[in-house]
Amino acid sequence: MKKERSKKYRRVRALRVLTQSFFFGLFGYLLLVSHYTGEDYLGKPVDAFFRFDPLIALTTLVAGRVVLTWMPIAAAVLVLTLVLGRFVCGWICPLGSLHQAFSFIFKKAGLLKPKREETASTGWKYLVLAVVLVGSAFALNLAGWLDPLSFLVRSFTTAVLPAAALGLSQVVRLLYAIPFPALAQPLSQFINNLAVNTVFFQAFAVGLLFLGALLLNIRKERFWCRYLCPAGALLGLAARWNVLKLRIDEDACIKCGLCTQHCQTQAEPYPNPKWRSSECVYCATCAAICPTAAIGFPASPKPEPVKTIDVRKRRVVLASLVGLAAAPLVRVAPAAKRAHVKLIRPPGALPEPEFLARCVKCGECMKACPTNGLQPTLFEAGLEGLWTPRLVPTIGYCEYYCSLCTQVCPTDAIRELTIEDKVQVKIGTSWINKNRCIPYALGKPCIVCEEHCPTSPKAIKLVLVQAALPDGTVSTQKAPVIDQDLCIGCGICENKCPVVDEPAIFVTSIGEQRSETNRLLLPVIGDGE
Amino acid sequence: MKRREALKDIALGGLVLGLGRGAAARPRHGVAAQTPSPAKTAPDLSVISAESPAAAARAAVAALGGMAAFVGRGDKVIIKPNIGWDRTPEMAACTNPEVVAALVGLVLEAGAKEAVVMDNTTNQAKRCYVRSGIAEAAKQAGAKVLFTDDYRLKKTALQGAWLKEWDVFADFLEADKVINVPIAKVHSLTRLSMGMKNWLGAIGGARHQLHQKLDEAMVDLAAFFKPALTVLDAYRILVKNGPQGGRLSDTRLVKTIIAGRDQVAVDAFGATLFDVQPGELAYLRIAQERGLGRHELGGLTIEKRTV
Repeated sequence: MKKERSKKYRRVRALRVLTQSFFFGLFGYLLLVSHYTGEDYLGKPVDAFFRFDPLIALTTLVAGRVVLTWMPIAAAVLVLTLVLGRFVCGWICPLGSLHQAFSFIFKKAGLLKPKREETASTGWKYLVLAVVLVGSAFALNLAGWLDPLSFLVRSFTTAVLPAAALGLSQVVRLLYAIPFPALAQPLSQFINNLAVNTVFFQAFAVGLLFLGALLLNIRKERFWCRYLCPAGALLGLAARWNVLKLRIDEDACIKCGLCTQHCQTQAEPYPNPKWRSSECVYCATCAAICPTAAIGFPASPKPEPVKTIDVRKRRVVLASLVGLAAAPLVRVAPAAKRAHVKLIRPPGALPEPEFLARCVKCGECMKACPTNGLQPTLFEAGLEGLWTPRLVPTIGYCEYYCSLCTQVCPTDAIRELTIEDKVQVKIGTSWINKNRCIPYALGKPCIVCEEHCPTSPKAIKLVLVQAALPDGTVSTQKAPVIDQDLCIGCGICENKCPVVDEPAIFVTSIGEQRSETNRLLLPVIGDGE
Repeated sequence: MKRREALKDIALGGLVLGLGRGAAARPRHGVAAQTPSPAKTAPDLSVISAESPAAAARAAVAALGGMAAFVGRGDKVIIKPNIGWDRTPEMAACTNPEVVAALVGLVLEAGAKEAVVMDNTTNQAKRCYVRSGIAEAAKQAGAKVLFTDDYRLKKTALQGAWLKEWDVFADFLEADKVINVPIAKVHSLTRLSMGMKNWLGAIGGARHQLHQKLDEAMVDLAAFFKPALTVLDAYRILVKNGPQGGRLSDTRLVKTIIAGRDQVAVDAFGATLFDVQPGELAYLRIAQERGLGRHELGGLTIEKRTV
């Protein structure tokens, strides 16, 4: 018996690594250019990866009760998976590639030692999928938390990139201190040009989860892909009639078991009848490492009894019940009854129930926001809305001529707006705390909010007011008054207010145009000026 | 003498001798001492009207004796336009990009080693730099266009009457010459925002607290930065909804550029475009009292032309 590994499949494996690198690079590129690059309109499909994600498409379709133009692409991926198997997981998915890269590193470092035979059930992810899909039926969008793309974009946007940018800026500080301005200056300008937002609520939690997901690769190769990923599960369900079937040349096979031990996703290539097409991601590792080149993936359109997925029906029923129970349970919270004072949604956001049904918490909008003002929620929108976007004016305001967040939303939970339309959208209402406002309370000049108010005419007017000073004298100053018909709730007044700890002018969600209940002033019928 | 050394000397001189700001600040750039003194006929102010903002800017500088009267060979020059707002040029919230580009060209033609253009913006820096048209125009003209960098902020002794120290971008401290290129706009607190107000873009820190005594702050900053040359862009001025406007109807076409060595005088002339008597502006009065410059236009020689 000639002991030689398959040249062909080693080439296929190399091609696969190249493909993965390409798609990961593309993913990173699209994420990095999701910001103001000098044009009002991005002109790039920065959310392109989501359009190829059948899980996002299916949950948006079901939970959001909406058909979006890109959904046929996701459907095509599903159809392709029917005949080609989970190639998306093995060759394209950027999170899958990242997990695989870390698995590879942990293996090389001796931290990950794959068992010769793995007995853990790969069925968990199908249960996750069941919960997500049943939730969708009740307009509860659970996909966002575990969908691989949402998970990756959110982790990169709110934790990884900010941490990297902070690290780089420390390098800049060091270079200036040396001093080596010849390098410090271009590096600093480069960082500035990338416009990476560096301040995020929940960054620690999201970052820790991301780190945890990567470290799970120490326990099992591609742990996430094997046991958790609901998108992988959906593709696994679809991979039933795949044409390319794993074949072991029984004459050549020396029964070493390397293929099964090093299978990235526990598809059990050996013995041949055990191979599960629903788990195989066509990474070609088994075929490439087989010492006798006994493994191949010949095309065989003939359907045959494939081993069913490793999940018990009873558990699926249980998981479905969880999804069923989750929908009313999360809505028992008061968030659904009354708008949260600080839940200022981005311009173009749909009315709250539809918004929640569609938002996948990916954080693309937070990446694109030029002022860092869009932040992941904690419980402002209820448990259901965890990590959905809200504007936090003390961090960043809504830039007047910008509609980037509306351009990048993959599920149109934030409706795409032209700049002309965007400047008309009211997202909240500004209020003055006269007890803290400098002219009102301290009798000193200020007008900073008025100066920054972007509308023309300004929503902040100045009137003369008198303030009693501690010495008994009276000071007359120009003080701000808000014209609610003109205020769009952008929050620049709150952001720039010199009373920095708790601004004397602040925006709350009331008056937001998208809501019929969170209203302030009713337009008076027949009030023809 | 390098500008930074001059700054140190002046700070020291002002401290030890207790000289008035004006007297102390005057030789700061050593402009009069180092560069050939302008021809005797050079006016205090040049006020040039033209169809082209760039042509007006060039003619305004030429009338003062040309850029060589302000910039020496090998100088590092920083040009400070107003890039504060995310507004396009026709909104008259930021300096006209053609004026900035023209000055960059003149500075480089005069033999300057480099011309840096920067401003600490109010809206997102990149949006302001791009949409004002200034970054592109200045780059085309050969300038080094930089975002302000917080690591370059230096706590600096301003020795002002009110502002004793503040965070200043080191780029301004290290430059040999500073040229101020503001735009003329209305402002709710100081009534008008022109050259002296423009210095708020050269500093960092909690700038908005300066509004509590903005007139004094502007004079202190102007005395500190004392530019070699001020070129006021009044091609299109902002007459309503200042300082950022937002509609074409907030602006007025004046098609004029005003230039001068005396930043107080430049602002004083600018005030007349808004039908404001310079003496009505508190900051101009304070500036003149401190000897920073003259706001009484009567005693100045003004070359007024249309090209």
